[in-house]
Amino acid sequence: MQRASRLKRELSLLSAEPPPGISCWQAANRLDELRAQLVGAAGTPYEKGIFDLEILVPERYPFEPPKIRFLTPIYHPNIDSAGRICLDVLKLPPKGAWTPSLNISTLLTSIQLLMAEPNPDDPLMASISSEYKYKKELFLLNAREWTAKYASQQKRALGEKLEPSDPSGPEGAAAQKRKGSALSPKEKSPRLEP
Amino acid sequence: MESSDSSDKGSIDQSEAQRQRQLDRLDREEAFYQFVNNLSEEDYRLMRDNNLLGTPGEITEEELLRRLHQVKEGPPQQNNDENRGAESTEDVSNGDSIIDWLNSVRQTGNTTRSGQRGNQSWRAVSRTNPNSGDFRFSLEINVNRNNGNTNPETENEPSVEPSSGEDLENSQSDSEIPRSESPSVRQPGSERSASEELTTEEASPPRGQRRARSRSPEQRRTRARTDRSRSPIHPVSETPRRSHHNTSSQTLDHSSVNEVEGSSRTRQHVTLRQHTVGTEMPSENAVLFSTPETRPVPQAAGSSETNGTSESAAPGQRPPTIVLDLQVRRVRPGEYRQRDSIANRTRSRSQTPNNTVTYESERGGFRRTFSRSERAGVRTYVSTIRIPIRRILNTGLSETTSVAIQTMLRQIMTGFGELSYFMYSDSDADPSGPTPNQNVDVSEPQNGGGGTSGNESADVSSGEVYEGGNEGGSTSGARREGRNTRGSVTFEESGSLPFLSLAQFFLLNEDDDDQPRGLTKEQIDNLAMRNFGESDALKTCSVCITEYTEGNKLRKLPCSHEYHVHCIDRWLSENSTCPICRRAVLASGNRESVV
Repeated sequence: MQRASRLKRELSLLSAEPPPGISCWQAANRLDELRAQLVGAAGTPYEKGIFDLEILVPERYPFEPPKIRFLTPIYHPNIDSAGRICLDVLKLPPKGAWTPSLNISTLLTSIQLLMAEPNPDDPLMASISSEYKYKKELFLLNAREWTAKYASQQKRALGEKLEPSDPSGPEGAAAQKRKGSALSPKEKSPRLEP
Repeated sequence: MESSDSSDKGSIDQSEAQRQRQLDRLDREEAFYQFVNNLSEEDYRLMRDNNLLGTPGEITEEELLRRLHQVKEGPPQQNNDENRGAESTEDVSNGDSIIDWLNSVRQTGNTTRSGQRGNQSWRAVSRTNPNSGDFRFSLEINVNRNNGNTNPETENEPSVEPSSGEDLENSQSDSEIPRSESPSVRQPGSERSASEELTTEEASPPRGQRRARSRSPEQRRTRARTDRSRSPIHPVSETPRRSHHNTSSQTLDHSSVNEVEGSSRTRQHVTLRQHTVGTEMPSENAVLFSTPETRPVPQAAGSSETNGTSESAAPGQRPPTIVLDLQVRRVRPGEYRQRDSIANRTRSRSQTPNNTVTYESERGGFRRTFSRSERAGVRTYVSTIRIPIRRILNTGLSETTSVAIQTMLRQIMTGFGELSYFMYSDSDADPSGPTPNQNVDVSEPQNGGGGTSGNESADVSSGEVYEGGNEGGSTSGARREGRNTRGSVTFEESGSLPFLSLAQFFLLNEDDDDQPRGLTKEQIDNLAMRNFGESDALKTCSVCITEYTEGNKLRKLPCSHEYHVHCIDRWLSENSTCPICRRAVLASGNRESVV
């Protein structure tokens, strides 16, 4: 499998120079499963949120796109309650736009962009989408609420150690995240409490 | 590895082991590239086409080498087998085996296989032309009468040609019905079909007509041979079921090339097209079922072009053998679209400016389209059957499906004659029922002299109505054939027939519709290829994210993006765009024209 060698390269790249606000690592002992965290970009309702994602790498990768979904609930027109993401690069042509020259890093970046710029014309969650289109304020409110409720716990956990003051500092965020991953067992329990 | 933070205990050993594994892997990977680089283009193709390359790092060089040798040696061995005779291979006895065989053919390219079932034995040979991607398959079926001793000869005859269904049909009929007739005796009257088949030469006048009209000399010959061959061993009896005979006869008769075109994978429906060519443009061939001029048993060892070579065996000695030659070629996306659309547009019949007549019928979810066009005195008949793939997959060969498949096969097998298309009766599907309606509709328009058909059909119980498409006035003859063919052909249980399996194979072989479209091997091979040289600027293959090393084989797409051959070939086999710029690798214009 090309998958293994490619994944290895991707992972080393990801850890060497992670894109801003993104971290990604291999799930324990699993070759085909990765975890990632995205930091909600400043200026979006997801700001200060940290979102966990699950990445399943199919056997045929990179000839087939990885399957990515949000583990952290997120209020977004293109992400459903199961965390599935409606994004063209996550699908094979002709319907989708996946190509083997994309990689996990670029996908995560695309997802980050999608978070910042929802695409209400291709909604997965119709109600959220119409809210986004016609009642933007309400949407923002809800999204922020969800972020605070579901995505900020981790941050708080992290925040105790790392000054969360600079959400804008992408590098810093990435660094946090990586540490966060190490802490993940701890993080999980607090997150579930609320 | 980062993940190991949490589980550091066991991870030390693990990581040790893992490191070792990775090192091994890297070695293998390197060896892989080395190996690929050293392959000649031909060998590379051979291996790629047969899916023998595996993945870098996964497979050892030795293994690759072994596979290569295997592949290379494969064909000759198989030939030998063929020549040696069926005995060795005969073990395979059921219809499924053909499918297995076909599948193995897909993987290995050239194969020969034979088997025996009941009193019929079959031998199938396939060759794949790595360059063109064409697939040629021949199937020969010999039927031994139960009473008749199986002649060793039969088995030995390496006839390679694959004639599938027809033989079966014949054989079946033979086998089913024990007939006692002496070889020579044919009953001319009622059982025309039988007689027709057999009697070419001696043929009664009517037959003669028939033949006369369109048949080339060769065809006749064929028949004659067939007759001979059969007669000694199997007396041709009148078949109670004419259909069988009919079918067979037709097939034999028509030497015209029929092409069945497989639909491209992408299509939603599998289209089997038969192209009978009166004189047509040879251009389309996707799947070609051609009855080569059937020579009774082509002994020529599997060579694809069997016809010429193999006549040596004395026909008389052999049991009836029928040979079918089938060529399959993948239809490129879009290739036939135009025609399809024409067919789709016209419901029932319509006359297009081109003198094209299209008939369309639908039955049990299978759409059949027949169209005829006449241009400059040349008539072209195209008949298309579309079967939703899913259906077949889901149902397996359920009854409906099998009926439909049968029908389709029959058409394929039978349809060698121009006329037969018309005839192509649904009635066949239900042996008993004449389902003449459709046929009728169809038939009328086509025949210039449609009128004739009626008579003949009368003989045949099922409504074979049409036989119409005669070319240039040979109507009467034509219709005859038609009717013969069309009789109620009964298939034995569908599942059991190899040729049914065949059809199934072709259907199954079509990839799922939802799959993205890819390029054909030919198309891929036409793309530029070069070796990476030391002087080139350092670049990385974006598929495997590995830097090129000297000697790497690179393929350059029209957009001038480059990749490792083995990386891009795999992508292009399922997709048609450049991974980097997403530009279509083939200009859309090319698509239609590449043939």
